[in-house]
Amino acid sequence: MSHHQETFEGCTIEIKDDIDLTINGKVIDYEQDTAKKKFSSKYLPYTQYDSLLEMARAIARHTVEFSKSKK
Amino acid sequence: MAIRKDANTLSAAERAEFVDAILTLKAEGIYDQFVLRHANAIMNAIHRCPAFLPWHRRFLFDLERELQRVSGNPNLGIPYWNWPSGGANAAMWNDDLLGGNGDAGGVVRTGPFRAGQWTVVNSSGSPAGPLMRAFGQNGFPTLPTQAEINQVMAVTPYDVPSWNMNSNPSFRNQLEGWIGPNLHNRGHVWVGGSMLPMTSPNDPVFFMHHCMVDKIWHEWQLRFPNQGYLPASGGPFGQNLTDPMDSTPSGQIGPRPIDVLDSTALGIVYDDAVVQPQPEIPLLIVGANPMQADIGAPGEVDVFRFEVPSFGPYTLFTTGSSDTFMTLFGPNDPNIEVTSNDDGGENLNSQIGRNLSAGTYYLRIRLFSPSATGNYAVAVRAEGNAPNPIPELAVDGASINAAIAAANESDLYRFTITTGGIYTIQTTGTTDTFMTLHGPNSQLPEIARNDDGGASFNARIRRQISPGEYFVRIRHFSPVGTGPYSIRITRG
Repeated sequence: MSHHQETFEGCTIEIKDDIDLTINGKVIDYEQDTAKKKFSSKYLPYTQYDSLLEMARAIARHTVEFSKSKK
Repeated sequence: MAIRKDANTLSAAERAEFVDAILTLKAEGIYDQFVLRHANAIMNAIHRCPAFLPWHRRFLFDLERELQRVSGNPNLGIPYWNWPSGGANAAMWNDDLLGGNGDAGGVVRTGPFRAGQWTVVNSSGSPAGPLMRAFGQNGFPTLPTQAEINQVMAVTPYDVPSWNMNSNPSFRNQLEGWIGPNLHNRGHVWVGGSMLPMTSPNDPVFFMHHCMVDKIWHEWQLRFPNQGYLPASGGPFGQNLTDPMDSTPSGQIGPRPIDVLDSTALGIVYDDAVVQPQPEIPLLIVGANPMQADIGAPGEVDVFRFEVPSFGPYTLFTTGSSDTFMTLFGPNDPNIEVTSNDDGGENLNSQIGRNLSAGTYYLRIRLFSPSATGNYAVAVRAEGNAPNPIPELAVDGASINAAIAAANESDLYRFTITTGGIYTIQTTGTTDTFMTLHGPNSQLPEIARNDDGGASFNARIRRQISPGEYFVRIRHFSPVGTGPYSIRITRG
């Protein structure tokens, strides 16, 4: 089981077992399109991402929910 | 009435009026309520689903009423962002309307919504910093072109199962952007910054963007008046025609898709709405050589039609190296799906073999991969013996007794006129028949139709007919109706 943790733009991204995603400790719900092998989240409803980590970084960078933690 | 104009064509006074109204709503706290209504809706209940278009139409309608209230102008409409002419150098991004792109850090520092003048809110309604934009920096460097809009405008039906981001063919899904050239999603991503998350209404361009989306839907509705909203029923709750939509309050109009289907009834006027003629559907001749075709753009769907003169076995197939997927609709209704097939033919070609009753059928062909392009050929052949001959009506002869034995079935007859004059074709019996007359010398041109011109619910056509061979098609008035009838042609 893999475990990834990094700090990206002031946010702590943690991915456990390649499945469970949290940003700053908050659980991030997401959808996986198994046919297209893409990930998407309600935080960024107009985009699909090639990996969970890529999506997590986009959430950390673009959503106002996590902008406060960057200031 | 709300008059919606191209944002790049507004006069200075119109720009000031719109900006002032937006700033007033922001000061009142009303604007942020709209941000929260979008941000806190269930994502998959208003995006990636059939209700995507009606939900946002109602959303625009409600904001527009607020803009009209604070401006005192009952005709104030939200301008639309005409993407093909709305790039980074367009007038709509000037300082007297939207302001421009973000700085190196993405912060908008020009125009009425610049940092210090405009603060975005998060999904809890708390202040969350300045408006952010990063034109073309998030994977989509360009905006949709007119050719790409035209491509999506040709797609039917409105939507199909699975009613989500994988629906295909689906006008809604292509306009939303999960398949095909990507229109709506691309606009959000092209602006970037505050337009990326569910709080995207924080950027006033959100409303101009969705005004363009709504304009395209409106024009598509005018172009295809027989293509209704789908699903009428049987879809997920909140998506059916008469379901209440998520996060849509009671108001001047109802919260269901059916309540917002007619833009004109809502008082919405687009300054240059264009009613394009429906594209002609190519006719496949049963038994003819395969017709060459191609999917020239990802997500494109080709539509063909063919006539089945009488009940019998038919095979529909493609040839070539493309991985085609075909769906059969009909008879006589392009929205009633009969069956579909992926790889039933040679190699990766699709093929459908099926007994078909008389009528007009529609064949939609796409490539299995929504991102692929390629050539193919398509054909229809009748199997077994030659098709049954079309029954002939003799002028002033005996009636022919028949029946509509199955839903959507239609019966075809022919007759020959040797002396021009007035003739009457009519049915008798207890069935509610519907009649169309075609000719001369072809089954295709329709020259007359009738529902209840005869006794009771019988159809009747009486008209001048010149010499030639003619065809009469009889169906039940109801798509699901069946029943016996008799038909006869008389002179006079």
